[in-house]
Amino acid sequence: MLSYNGLMGAGVAASEAWMGIERLGEELIATVRVGPVDVSFDLPAVAVSLFVTALLVAVSIWLRRGLPREREGPLTQRAGFLAALLELSRSQLVAGFDEPLAKRVLPLTATLFLYILLCNWIGILPIPYIVSPTQNLNVPMGMAIMVYVLAHYYALRTRGVRLHLRSYLEPNPILLPMNIVGDMGRTLSHGFRLFGNILGGAILTALAPALLARAVFLLPFAFPVGVGLDLFFGIFVGTIQALVFALLASAYINLAVSS
Amino acid sequence: MDISGADLITMARYLAAGLCMGIGAIGPAIGQGMAASHALDGMARQPEMENSLLRTMIVGQAITESTGIYSLVVAIILVFVAG
Repeated sequence: MLSYNGLMGAGVAASEAWMGIERLGEELIATVRVGPVDVSFDLPAVAVSLFVTALLVAVSIWLRRGLPREREGPLTQRAGFLAALLELSRSQLVAGFDEPLAKRVLPLTATLFLYILLCNWIGILPIPYIVSPTQNLNVPMGMAIMVYVLAHYYALRTRGVRLHLRSYLEPNPILLPMNIVGDMGRTLSHGFRLFGNILGGAILTALAPALLARAVFLLPFAFPVGVGLDLFFGIFVGTIQALVFALLASAYINLAVSS
Repeated sequence: MDISGADLITMARYLAAGLCMGIGAIGPAIGQGMAASHALDGMARQPEMENSLLRTMIVGQAITESTGIYSLVVAIILVFVAG
């Protein structure tokens, strides 16, 4: 997919000594030849993504261990936390859904939310090569395509092939190409939204302090502006975009199943 | 210093990226502002609806934002990939 290796070379070479700007967009790519095709891996993204996954799994196991042994046992702290988390995601992500659909969709979208949230937050750390995996287009696009495929799968399972295919002919058979293109465009924008927000934030976080640092009288502002932008894009935009991605995923599945 | 064709292409790329992002940000900004203002109206009128209004507003704004994201992607391609 989109590759932006060594991208900053021409643009802002003058101010590259500042805050990782020389590393912006630089990737550690490992290429493996499988038969006739070259498969390349963005190593930091893979490593950080695996780390986030391992962290989530470990925390889940730890929380599961904290549940009371019997059904009517005393409520533990971890059980309370788990219940609050479940209730929050249920009320935010699948509010107003049919009960069987909500039960099926909630684990998926809650997992998407937590994974994307941690991926976005981990990009705050000012460590070289520790970047959000979500700023590699393959990660959000892969998740968006997964949601697309799952929406069709659920729709086929619950409504049958005939009824599902007929929904493409509504409200009018003339609109069939429009419906198909709209479906694809929705998935495309679903992936690009997360990718664009996180990558745009990362570029801005690296660029703005570098530009400020070029003017001597603005130099004192460079560091606070960099930290502020980092926290704003990492915590605020990261949380909103993770919520939006998970919300849209459940909304798309709900739309496909019940329209 | 001579200006060659490659320099002109580079200049055009940066100019186009700036225009693309600047003009492309107008529409989503207006749309998101309108969504927020109407959601605020609704919240002031019916404070008990705040939760669902906020959620719907965020989803609506996210969809409004996609045109801005498209121009961001085009600008990124212009600056970093094209040429």
